[in-house]
Amino acid sequence: MNVVTISLALLLATSQDSARRIAIDERLAADAGLRVGDRVSLSATPGDSGRIAIIGAILRRSADPAEIARGEYRVRLHLTELQSLLGYGDRVDRFAVGTTSAQAIGDAATRINSAAFGFHAHRSRDIAVQTSATFAVVSRFHRAIGVITIVASAIFLLCIMLLKVDERRRDVAALRLMGISGRTIVKGVVLEATAIAVFGSIVGVAFGALTSWIVNAYYQSVYRSPVRFSIVTGDVVLLAVSLSLVLGIAAGWLAARRLVRTPPLMLFGR
Amino acid sequence: MLLTLAAASLLRHRARTILAVLGVAVSAAMLLDMVMLSSGMRESFRSLLLSQGFQLRISPKGTMPFDTDATIRDGDSIVTILQGMNEVKSVSPVLGGQLHIPSASGTIASSALGIIPSVEGDYELVGGRQPSAPDEIVANDALLRAIGRSLNDTVHAGAGYDSQLRSLTGERVLRIVGRARFVYMASEQKGVALPIATLRAMQGHAVDKPVSLMMVRLAPDQDIEVMRARLERQFRKVNVISTAEALKQVDERLSYFRQLAAILGAVSLVVGFLLVTTLVTVSVNERIGEIAVMRAIGVRRWRVVAQIVTEASAMMLAASPLGLMLGLVTARYLNSILARFPGVPERIDFFLFQPRSAWTALGLLAVSGVLAAVYPSWRSASLPIATTLRQEAVG
Amino acid sequence: MTALVEVRDLVRQYPMGEERVAALRGVTFDVDAGEYAAIVGPSGCGKSTLLNLIGVIDRPTSGSVSIGGARVDQLADSRATEFRLRRIGFVFQRFYLMQALTARENVELPLAEAGLKGPERRERARALLDYVGLAAREKHRPSQLSGGEQQRVAIARALANQPKLLLADEPTGELDARTGTEMIALFDRLNADGTTILVVTHDEDLARAARRVIHMRDGSIVGDERNR
Repeated sequence: MNVVTISLALLLATSQDSARRIAIDERLAADAGLRVGDRVSLSATPGDSGRIAIIGAILRRSADPAEIARGEYRVRLHLTELQSLLGYGDRVDRFAVGTTSAQAIGDAATRINSAAFGFHAHRSRDIAVQTSATFAVVSRFHRAIGVITIVASAIFLLCIMLLKVDERRRDVAALRLMGISGRTIVKGVVLEATAIAVFGSIVGVAFGALTSWIVNAYYQSVYRSPVRFSIVTGDVVLLAVSLSLVLGIAAGWLAARRLVRTPPLMLFGR
Repeated sequence: MLLTLAAASLLRHRARTILAVLGVAVSAAMLLDMVMLSSGMRESFRSLLLSQGFQLRISPKGTMPFDTDATIRDGDSIVTILQGMNEVKSVSPVLGGQLHIPSASGTIASSALGIIPSVEGDYELVGGRQPSAPDEIVANDALLRAIGRSLNDTVHAGAGYDSQLRSLTGERVLRIVGRARFVYMASEQKGVALPIATLRAMQGHAVDKPVSLMMVRLAPDQDIEVMRARLERQFRKVNVISTAEALKQVDERLSYFRQLAAILGAVSLVVGFLLVTTLVTVSVNERIGEIAVMRAIGVRRWRVVAQIVTEASAMMLAASPLGLMLGLVTARYLNSILARFPGVPERIDFFLFQPRSAWTALGLLAVSGVLAAVYPSWRSASLPIATTLRQEAVG
Repeated sequence: MTALVEVRDLVRQYPMGEERVAALRGVTFDVDAGEYAAIVGPSGCGKSTLLNLIGVIDRPTSGSVSIGGARVDQLADSRATEFRLRRIGFVFQRFYLMQALTARENVELPLAEAGLKGPERRERARALLDYVGLAAREKHRPSQLSGGEQQRVAIARALANQPKLLLADEPTGELDARTGTEMIALFDRLNADGTTILVVTHDEDLARAARRVIHMRDGSIVGDERNR
């Protein structure tokens, strides 16, 4: 479709009773200072005088990720009005077809494709998949960053656990000399690590939810879009908590095992 | 002596030191990647835009180059006016479209650029020659592979294709005279360039002579912004975009990645800082008696601090080459993911390595490591000696 | 003869919760250059506190300490550190050697701080280890040395910068009887070579080996006698 260049000129009210009504998106309304009832001039070519139209409605932008960062404005006109403006004649770019039921989609597509000439019927779902290529890339990127972050976190966790457990080497040595078994000591450390991991997970989930809210609020205002950029779902929470528990407990276990395998006197530095 | 003591302390707890170095290396890698990401796209795009020497780009009003199917009607008249200006050295008009080429595996659709071979700025010839006749084309390897052709072969192509009727419109027989690498096309995107007049004729636009884009090379010492403003005033139906303006648009569209880079970079720095602080604090707490004795036998406070900070710095130093290597490897991997963005030119790197990036990242980490070590070491060196020794004796 | 160490009305109090506990209650005494004195008394009588104050690693609540004619009780931290480095040698009950360094490197530590360069520093450290009978163990780490050997290294370290005054806090406290006897002989030799020694001890043999014994109880000196 050709880009409809809309030249907007706010005109004084004239006797234009035959002026058609159009709908504009809220971003255009805000940027151009337009309201319902205002008269504007529409043309397909920049600089042409065009036709008068009245703003009949202001539309909320859809939560369409494809529109993010694009500075386009959206205008809705009657089909015949746009065809006339563009000089298209009786031409459209596409039809949107609603079927009576989900089961009827396939049949409808097959019948249209076998009966019609010059166009092809596509399922909306298939188009959505094809046009989501950009977001598939972004998803993969985020996933890669996530994996790297997890690996980094695992190393940090192990390092810090090792340090903190090592700090108590003398206490552990004293316990061993008293006759407390290595297994009991490991259990104790793992219990502590579990408690820290559980508490850390709760704090982490709360922090993540807050950050997600901040991200949405910020980017929705920057891109002026109702798209939800970040969504915290049950699956995501479950994955995060599971990972942090597993990593935290594993780090504690590894650190404790290392300590109990060292002879107690060596832990005292003798 | 300072270095001897620092090295000895680090080697005394090998596992701990190795893990800490690894942790710092991962921080360094992440930080390097984020520094590369924050500047890479912009620098990469800038050199791409300037690679062919055109400073201004003219596109239909309200659009960015090739953002839409919009064209500038009667583009040739604008080209003629521009060519007549002393300030303009050359103008390259480009018309976008598609060519559909039947092949054994079905009809292949390829991006098509209508150009003027003598002034084009869209591709680099890697074999053959420029088109010199109306029916001659150059194609990239992706297209040649898809249609199973090579240099000097002919192809039957159309500017339009009706998939229902399986028929071509605007058909011609064209000869492949050159192999090209298209500067602004994505990898694996099939591309062909042919004389603009030929493409117009195939599209049925021989009369209105549209162009999608005009690239303008200015004469030496011209003020780009002044020319840009002048051309926009003169030609009201177009946008005139300078490289700076194009970069600004790219920045806006890709601002997410810069912000992500800043946030993740900051997080890496903080995590590295915390790791070093924790390590130094634990290490110092274990040696509090030793530190008190060092002070008791006359070692100055600043030297105790210097020794501990030297340990932290040594870890940073050891982690740096590892972090650099890891960073470059992960950057390459992440770049390969982002390179698959639809429509992103093959030559664009999201993660661009510049020595400055490495110095920035490693410098930041080194400073944060030193700062992380200063407080716990100063604190331990400032403890009252007698009290500390007594507590150590009791403990 | 001017005393090397002059202690006047020395008081040291510590806050313990709401109260203040007096570890020293106005101690006054002198130690002459070349003297070998032992401070004895029950646990908690203030002997170690007194040694710490003379060793300039603690500050008194009131009173004064002078060493070699210079007031040392109110020195700024950097001056006090310098004083400890060059004028005083300190030997602790628990040796407090740097576990990560070898015996020689431990002795080199104060020499390096005093500005001695590498070869000279190493040579001097070797000489000191030889003096205490550990020349063959210079490359061993503390964990590879016996208690007595560690204490000898600590003594060598304390003597590194040729201090006028050697302070020792329970130097035989962690040693067996035989090693303790060896330590007593070493102290005798040090004193014979001119080092002023002030030692805090529970060890009766060590106290007997000293030429002067100062008795303390409850933060005060209650006796001061010459052995020989």
